[in-house]
Amino acid sequence: MEDGREKKKPPSPKFCINDHVDILVEILRRLDGDTLAVAACVCRLWHSITRHDSLWESLCFRHVPSPPPSGIKPIVLALGGYKRLYMLCLRPVLNRLSRFGLRDRVDHVQLTLSLFCVDYYERLGGGGGKLGESSASSSSLMFLCRPVNV
Amino acid sequence: MEAKPNMGKEKMLWSGSENQDAGMDELLAVLGYKVRSSDMADVAQKLEQLDMIMGSAQEDGLSHLYSDTVHYNPSDISSWLENMLSEFNTCAPNFDQSHNPAESSSVVPNLRPKLKQSQQPCVFQDDSEYDLRAIPGAAVYRQTPDESLTSNKRLKINDTRSEFSNCLISSSMPAAEATRPVVMVDSQETGIRLVHTLMACAEAVQEGNLKLADALVKQVGLLAVSQAGAMQKVATYFAEALARRIYRIYPQDPLESSSYSDLLQMHFYESCPYLKFAHFTANQAILEAFSGAKRVHVIDFSMKQGMQWPALIQALALRPGGPPAFRLTGIGPPQPDNTDALQQVGWKLAQLARTIGVEFEFRGFVCNSLADLNSSMLEIGDDEAVAVNSVFELHRLLARPGAIDKVLKSIKDTNPRIVTIVEQEANHNGVVFLDRFTEALHYYSSLFDSLEGSGLSPPNSPDLVMSEVYLGRQIYNVVSCEGVDRVERHETLTQWRTRMESAAFDPVHLGSNAFKQASMLLALFAGGDGYRVEENNGCLMLGWHTRPLIATSAWRLAGGANTDSH
Repeated sequence: MEDGREKKKPPSPKFCINDHVDILVEILRRLDGDTLAVAACVCRLWHSITRHDSLWESLCFRHVPSPPPSGIKPIVLALGGYKRLYMLCLRPVLNRLSRFGLRDRVDHVQLTLSLFCVDYYERLGGGGGKLGESSASSSSLMFLCRPVNV
Repeated sequence: MEAKPNMGKEKMLWSGSENQDAGMDELLAVLGYKVRSSDMADVAQKLEQLDMIMGSAQEDGLSHLYSDTVHYNPSDISSWLENMLSEFNTCAPNFDQSHNPAESSSVVPNLRPKLKQSQQPCVFQDDSEYDLRAIPGAAVYRQTPDESLTSNKRLKINDTRSEFSNCLISSSMPAAEATRPVVMVDSQETGIRLVHTLMACAEAVQEGNLKLADALVKQVGLLAVSQAGAMQKVATYFAEALARRIYRIYPQDPLESSSYSDLLQMHFYESCPYLKFAHFTANQAILEAFSGAKRVHVIDFSMKQGMQWPALIQALALRPGGPPAFRLTGIGPPQPDNTDALQQVGWKLAQLARTIGVEFEFRGFVCNSLADLNSSMLEIGDDEAVAVNSVFELHRLLARPGAIDKVLKSIKDTNPRIVTIVEQEANHNGVVFLDRFTEALHYYSSLFDSLEGSGLSPPNSPDLVMSEVYLGRQIYNVVSCEGVDRVERHETLTQWRTRMESAAFDPVHLGSNAFKQASMLLALFAGGDGYRVEENNGCLMLGWHTRPLIATSAWRLAGGANTDSH
């Protein structure tokens, strides 16, 4: 509604979030996994940001009852990175556990890391990989991706 | 119990070749009974009633049945039951012996009593449709027309039949409950017959009656086709195993590639949680035992593809105070094609260890049997903390006398901080073949049931099929092999405990951390629906529904000054 005040033009954006990537990163870091995936579809810039592993790092251990063991970062990075850890192991594990109300009550970090390590080993060709199957199909973590028979 | 009735040696009167055979159950007909298939449920119900009545009647009150009653055409179970029930209904519970039941019976009283054996299919309802624990206690197949009169298998109410009592009833049930009647459900009819026939065949094999066994094995084949899912597969494997035993086919495959059996085990690893459970629980115990040690050495009797060790290496990498130097000695069988499978596995583990920053050394040992090893070959360092790990390997040693003792001694010579043992929770090493057969039928039924029922693998996926082949080979070994060839000599946790304790080992309790990890692992598998983790005096067992299937236990040298792992 206009009154006697000077009519304003639609304000030209003085502030575009895309110019301030560090702020954008800080915001995106606080999102949950699903929202982050949605954010990755917004534009190329956002997509490239969401590929930073540090975003996923804060996501991974956000809800853990006790802090993750120190020295975990180089190991996770060496085994494939936080994003892979989240997508492959943590997310399915958390989903499964939350169905049974266990999500916030048990420390699943140890188990998740072990599974992640097993995954790396299988990708190396361990666990019978030499027998010609692609690592994706022989991964013992596939069970996490199958729908739970409720 | 009253004196035996004068059963005599007469054959039962039965109207042999009338053509009312249409609709008669063919299996029972082979054995001399005539029951219409459509009447089966009704017959079962009446048997149930009869058994209840008999169970509650005073023992004296039954004497009339033995002495005065004649049942015309006793092979016609339906009418026999009618007679029996009507007699009871017209009698007071505590009648005296003078009562003449003849007037309530529709048959002419006769001096020669004929009491026919009652069949008592005691079927226990179970939530799982394929659970073969629902097995009758009575031995239907025993009843040929000649045998029934000369055998002393009379109807005894609270008897525990020594041979077949609690045939496939869970061993935790007391004997008296074996005669508790339950309703037989129609859908399980063929399944029960299938199991009956399997048991009959096994018994015939045990007695050396190979002709009968052969006929019965073929019957099993026919019946199995009508089943679906786990029951069909189990029956097929057991039938094949029995056939091998009958025809003495022992496919000797000494050159069989162990990479094939490794492959099978990998599929088993992936399709169900048993091996993962074994690895996680054993690793937990080893991790705790190694706390504070700067150099650690694991001796693995069951190296295979080394799937157990990535998780331990990672856990060691993350332990407070940094990782120790980790040495792994893997023991495996010789390869027919001279490839060095062990070295390849070792190389991959070394890569993993390098990636996550753990100092690692691997050595592989090839030998035909664990008993060929001695501790000096292993070159244990003085400052090393040693752990010995065996997953499903120790039972093989029971095939040769003295082997297990030699191996246990070698283990002791390595001065281990901890010895982790995972074994199948079943007694497949009994002296009597039929007992072994029964136990194995029970055990593998539960296993197959869990494979099918957990919903993890889609039906007929390669994982599932290969896992079943893996288990099937064990079935063949338990049933059809003997002597040193029979290597699948599983024993229960209790038996292993006795053995370890007499070899001067003390148990190490696995602790709540291991239990929690195991439960979480199970929760990831279809919600752990059906799988159960149990703690048993410090050992952990994983089972399907109420049946424990594998057990993990941990041991240390008796009276040693080793650190307690808790």
